[in-house]
Amino acid sequence: MTPAAGLNFDEGFLWLTFLLIGLATTLPRASFIVLGNRVVLPSVVQRALRYAPAAALAAIVVPDIVLVGGSFAPFNPKLAAAAATVAAALLSRNPWLPFIAGMGTLLTLRMGLGW
Amino acid sequence: MTQLFSPSFRAGARTGFREFLPLSVGLIPWALVTGMSMVSVGFSPLQAMGMNIIVFAGTAQLGTLPLIAAGAPLWLIVVTALALNLRFVIFSAAIAQGFRGLGTGARWFSGHLLTDGVFATCIEKMMQNDDKHWRLGYYLAPSVWSWLLWQTFALTGVLAAGSIPKNWSLEFMATIALMLLLLPMAKMRPMLVAALTGGAAAVVLQGMPLRLGLIVAIFAGIAAGFAAEHWHGRRNSGKAAT
Repeated sequence: MTPAAGLNFDEGFLWLTFLLIGLATTLPRASFIVLGNRVVLPSVVQRALRYAPAAALAAIVVPDIVLVGGSFAPFNPKLAAAAATVAAALLSRNPWLPFIAGMGTLLTLRMGLGW
Repeated sequence: MTQLFSPSFRAGARTGFREFLPLSVGLIPWALVTGMSMVSVGFSPLQAMGMNIIVFAGTAQLGTLPLIAAGAPLWLIVVTALALNLRFVIFSAAIAQGFRGLGTGARWFSGHLLTDGVFATCIEKMMQNDDKHWRLGYYLAPSVWSWLLWQTFALTGVLAAGSIPKNWSLEFMATIALMLLLLPMAKMRPMLVAALTGGAAAVVLQGMPLRLGLIVAIFAGIAAGFAAEHWHGRRNSGKAAT
């Protein structure tokens, strides 16, 4: 039995989702490589596009670490783990350390202290 | 296909591979984490590897996993993936000249394999070298290598995750990975403003139906970053004038 055997996705929906995410990845990547010189992206658009990944990443991550059950919780294990992750990433160049620090903090707080 | 066997293609491939090899080690933790994260939201090994092969993009995979797990509507998942991938439009535009003289098939194949690491490594010589076969080899060798590493270590992660207990909160690995992608971006002031605005807006708007708040937050972040860039630029040029 797999650890996630309780979760079942609709098989067809899931593969359709993968296919569309794949398109949403390959089309931006191939765009200008395939089009070549036929189209030039205005510099205003180029500059605006630069901010999309940072905005999207933060919009996904921040609610996950500051909300507990839908309400704002400034003190929770995930936020503490996030702080440990950021500290490890800023203080060290080791690519594994942030994962160890973040998961270590989360597991210590949840399992060790029952938070 | 004959170009694959031309001496200049192979010479380019050797150079590209040698330059990219040390950097490519950095892909390994990402692939492992992505593999584990896909299993942690409930994908079977087949589904996880299916996503890994079809999408082949760590950020888009990790970023959409929480949405897929939460049962978000399909269009929202796709729009979020697009937002996460928009940087590739810029990379693609920047490196397009490096494919001058090459056919459409080679361009689609190369485009599909475009990654941040290969882009950063190859962009300079792709512009300079005049031999199109050399350039294609120079680009494809590290790209195909990245693909192989990505699939191999994601599979390792998928298989390893199956033997880790559920209460270890493995899904938080995806959140950590996304934070680590965000951090280097946030070192630039306007980018930080975009991230803070996007994050704050997503929290404030989390009650919106269909998780529409996420999309609004992304647009708010882009607008704020753009505004910050203007304001920052104007302030700096003002300083220069005085």
